[in-house]
Amino acid sequence: MKSLSLGRIAVFAVLAAFILVPLAQTIIISLVSTLPSDGIPEGHFSLINYQNILQSAVLKQAILNSVIYVVLNVALCLVVGLPAAYAFSRYSFVGDRQLFFLLLVFRITPTVVLSLPIFVLFSQIGLENTPVGIALVHCVFNIPISIWILEGFISAVPRELDETAFLDGHSLAGFFVRHLVPAIAPGIGVAAFFCFVFSWVEVVLARILTTTGGKPITMAINALFGFRTDVGLVMAMTVLAIVPGIATIYFARNHLAKGFVIRT
Amino acid sequence: MHQASFAGAAVWKPLLVLRRRRLEPAHSPVERAPSSPERAAWGCQISGLSAGDEASYPESNPGARGLEGFARRLSPAVFLRAEFFHPPQLFEMKPYDNKAWLLVLPALAIMTCVGILPLVAVTNYSFLDIFDLRNPTWVGVDWYRNIVISQRFYGSLGRSCLFSAMILSVQMPLGIWIALLLHRSNRYIVSTVLVLVTVPLVVPWNMIPVIWLNFINPGVGLAGRAMAWLGIGFDYKFTALHTWIVLIVMDTWHWLGLVVVLSYAGISSVPSSYYQAAAIDGASRWQIFRFIQLPKMQAVLSMALLLRFMDSFMIYIEAFRINAGGPDGATSFLSLDLGEDIQSFNYGPAAARSIVYFLIVMTVAWAFRMATSTRKPVAAELVG
Repeated sequence: MKSLSLGRIAVFAVLAAFILVPLAQTIIISLVSTLPSDGIPEGHFSLINYQNILQSAVLKQAILNSVIYVVLNVALCLVVGLPAAYAFSRYSFVGDRQLFFLLLVFRITPTVVLSLPIFVLFSQIGLENTPVGIALVHCVFNIPISIWILEGFISAVPRELDETAFLDGHSLAGFFVRHLVPAIAPGIGVAAFFCFVFSWVEVVLARILTTTGGKPITMAINALFGFRTDVGLVMAMTVLAIVPGIATIYFARNHLAKGFVIRT
Repeated sequence: MHQASFAGAAVWKPLLVLRRRRLEPAHSPVERAPSSPERAAWGCQISGLSAGDEASYPESNPGARGLEGFARRLSPAVFLRAEFFHPPQLFEMKPYDNKAWLLVLPALAIMTCVGILPLVAVTNYSFLDIFDLRNPTWVGVDWYRNIVISQRFYGSLGRSCLFSAMILSVQMPLGIWIALLLHRSNRYIVSTVLVLVTVPLVVPWNMIPVIWLNFINPGVGLAGRAMAWLGIGFDYKFTALHTWIVLIVMDTWHWLGLVVVLSYAGISSVPSSYYQAAAIDGASRWQIFRFIQLPKMQAVLSMALLLRFMDSFMIYIEAFRINAGGPDGATSFLSLDLGEDIQSFNYGPAAARSIVYFLIVMTVAWAFRMATSTRKPVAAELVG
């Protein structure tokens, strides 16, 4: 059953080419000097673009901003998502199904629909142009994701685990930290992965909240476009923006397919 | 969990053991356990309990004996079908306790701040004419009326529907097909391909059009130069068909991975005993897909369908960057109209548009829920 077949290998090869060739071109351009600069003729292989990023305070700050808001967002989603997922998994309560439906609706609501009031609201309370603002706003689609994924994993843990822990005198918080989290560690990894991915790539809300400062990588790349765009620099920044994503995929690879335990 | 469950009928047991040797490591419970737990396993299959648990206490379940006789009379195919119509009860009833709300509260508080409050605010704006934010004038349903009577809205709606339909009809079958091929491959290929298809998902959305515009650029792009060399006149700027092709290929590149990962998750949830039974029955590959894999994939597939539908229906940044709705409005989708309103600070009309779109989303989500809530959730099996 798990044999090799030439046809299948060919399909996967075509798929790999389809996905990798556009990326390969991006990487190639990022390694080429695209604007004439001192010493390096245009169109030649060089690491000048990456050196330029290291020398630019704005771009380095952008990378830092991105990392800050994504880490904050993932932490927030997991911390509030875990108890909620536990409640959905273990109890039934007034309005539980309606609440779940509400989460579904907010997950699929296009961000552009919410962008206008969020901009007005956040600029009134002074959360615009900061990574914290982006981290909060991205919760609107990431909290539902984390609750869904964690709920599935918690439901697979037998209820006896809770009961013995409570008999042993653990408080709810103690039970979460000492028993539940270790028991669903892969689930937490998968939830963190998907929160990371969706937050890292989102641009509509990130753009509207960082018009003048606190720009993440994505917006810093946008700002690079101008009268004479240094395409090489843009592509080098893009490559840097993809690298953390690929690293997390690599760590999550064995659990990716297990993460989707979705109840509606 | 289901590994040991499909055993019992003496006639085809040798065949099963043979298959097992090939499929599973040597510690398979069938080979280890004597016949009594095997018989009990029949009972567990029907009652939905784990066969592994039962095997340790073979005599503890008197019901299994009675059911066993009943099960012997059934062919595996009938047995399987019975399982489909009455899936095993995986969860006991949950205790009813409203204190659980306390656990949901933190998540709900954040969702209120970033989801519900903005929605209330935007509803409010949609009835106002806001030239500057301090003194708005009440205009009633004027903005809504403007949207509902405008030809442009229906044009955009039609284009968005068409785009979603094309995206779904390309990506869903392709994703399922790749997942099926993966299912027949060894695990190194599986993890390599899964990593590969997920890579485009982590590319920032505003960079996807940049990458693709470079890729199809006739001067520097690999695809652009290849097409020029082949003599294909490809002009995404001024030919509507070509813009559509770029958008669909680009979107497939971007999102195929999600469909593949979800479909593969669904397929992996099918217990191996189902395949063994199907093999004994001589089911064709198509029958296995149609009657075993597809029903098991329903939950994740409907999720993939919903996510892909909504994201393609409201495609914004990619479509905007490729051709800004052109040529001549041929790719101006719903969200591009909204983006235009927001960028020109037409708060009122933009808010009314947002509400209309939100209502569309609600309706779709509700229809989706109605369509799927009659089925049982396929949950814990995926994790097992």
